[in-house]
Amino acid sequence: MADLSTIGRGTTIRGNIRGDGDLDVHGRVDGSVTVKGELSIAETALVKSDVSARRVVVRGAVAGNVSADESLVLEAGARVVGDLSAPRIGIRPGALLRGNVTTAGAENAPARARAGARPAAAEPARTPARAATPARPAVSAHTPSPTPAARAPMPAARPPAQTPVAPPRAAAPTHNPSHNSASHSASASDGVKAPSREGPPPPVVPSLGRGAKASLKRKGAR
Amino acid sequence: MAGTIIGSGITIEGEITSDEDVVVAGTVRGKLSAEGPVTVDTGAVVEADIAAASLSVGGNVTGNVTASERVNLLAGGRLIGDVKAARLTIADGASFKGNVDMNV
Repeated sequence: MADLSTIGRGTTIRGNIRGDGDLDVHGRVDGSVTVKGELSIAETALVKSDVSARRVVVRGAVAGNVSADESLVLEAGARVVGDLSAPRIGIRPGALLRGNVTTAGAENAPARARAGARPAAAEPARTPARAATPARPAVSAHTPSPTPAARAPMPAARPPAQTPVAPPRAAAPTHNPSHNSASHSASASDGVKAPSREGPPPPVVPSLGRGAKASLKRKGAR
Repeated sequence: MAGTIIGSGITIEGEITSDEDVVVAGTVRGKLSAEGPVTVDTGAVVEADIAAASLSVGGNVTGNVTASERVNLLAGGRLIGDVKAARLTIADGASFKGNVDMNV
């Protein structure tokens, strides 16, 4: 009893949770969770703030950074918007992630990512944060899941709408020399309609434009 | 389901709202509101107002308590605050300081 705590499915906690021992979250938490043991975020859970534990297994939704002292695993069904940070990180097929991923002292995320779809997920996730929204279509295109409403309009907006995308696309070739990630996202959105014509995208230098390209994408996507 | 169990090593600062039963063995500061039975175990420290269907206090509760059914203050339990409940038991050995309103 001293060890395992449970936040049930019908429970909402507006405030911070701290402590020793293990914690199993099935409900909602609007506040940080810092636990010294193992933290399990179940499928029905929604945590809106940072989360930290020795070992973390995520199967639900987290809007905040997740950090672990030992290992961190996103299982299928996990939806995380926030940074991941742990010495060992696992992202299983079916997990959704939007954020940076940092393993201990590792700067070569594309090499460490596990399988085909993951480099696309990890590699735009590696971009130095903020203007990361333009790269999202690449992530959403590879992991089709309608649950986060924010992602649904984006893959929907990009592939079928060839015409609205045309003006940014027309601008894209002019930006191509400077931002090869632009053609990247463009070809990744094509990849949604036609099965990706170029396998896992080559590890490009994610020099995301913080300027015109990003704002064009923003106007075109949202 | 097991409901919500707040273990002895856990501290929650904030509001807890639940539609199931809650067992508190840790520390809760803020407000606790449940539609089911709430049990405060020995060793628990609750500095919060509690609203529940029924409440069993075996630990330390500081705050006003409202229960739609009953409140049981067990031996070893300590309740400092007002109680509003239809039924109330205070066991021998419990500590209590507050007003009692039994909706009379």
